[in-house]
Amino acid sequence: MFDLSYQEKSILGSVAAMVLVYGYYFSAVLRDVGRREFGSGSLGRLIFAVIALIVIQVVYHTALALESHPEPKDERDTLIESKAYRTAYFFLTTGISLLAAGIIVINTVALHSREAWGTVTPFATVNLILLAMVLAESAKLLTQLFYYRRGLR
Amino acid sequence: MTGGRIRNNIRKLRFNAGEMTQQELAEKIGVTRQTVLAIEGEKYSPSLEVAFRIAHVFGVPLDEVFQYEASAV
Repeated sequence: MFDLSYQEKSILGSVAAMVLVYGYYFSAVLRDVGRREFGSGSLGRLIFAVIALIVIQVVYHTALALESHPEPKDERDTLIESKAYRTAYFFLTTGISLLAAGIIVINTVALHSREAWGTVTPFATVNLILLAMVLAESAKLLTQLFYYRRGLR
Repeated sequence: MTGGRIRNNIRKLRFNAGEMTQQELAEKIGVTRQTVLAIEGEKYSPSLEVAFRIAHVFGVPLDEVFQYEASAV
């Protein structure tokens, strides 16, 4: 149906791996959202997710290299990638800024409130930073796919 | 002035060059076949260097390969 380049197939594999691994990881994190500490169980899950992502990527890209002739990046690939990095940068800086502002506001309110306010725990902070990074990487990959399909005029 | 369009005759030039394939042209100018496809389909305007390489492969001046079409203002 689509005449996909080697780079597009590579990106599609990365998107699928990220959805699979981080979908599992963040669904597990949501179940633990009430926890206060980033304990050894949570750390183990994070390490497992990172290793699983690496293994899936290596297996997929090895199979892809055997199935289709790997092509080095040319000037169009580099241009598309640089545009995609711009999108990723926007997502990352926005995510981190919102997170920092959120932590300051929530913790300040908690400090001065007589009500029982919760603070942002290390567990939540680490996972929100990771989420911002995952969203930025996803935005990069999807921007690349968009420009490969729509073209650069 | 913005909004112009770069047209090209690469498909015709390939045909006249013994029905050269996109893959053959891609290898001669150092890009992927998908980039040749994108250039031919006017979805990507190549760098000046690649544009000159294409003209060199077909042995024609650059303006025989690419033409700038200004949009009506």
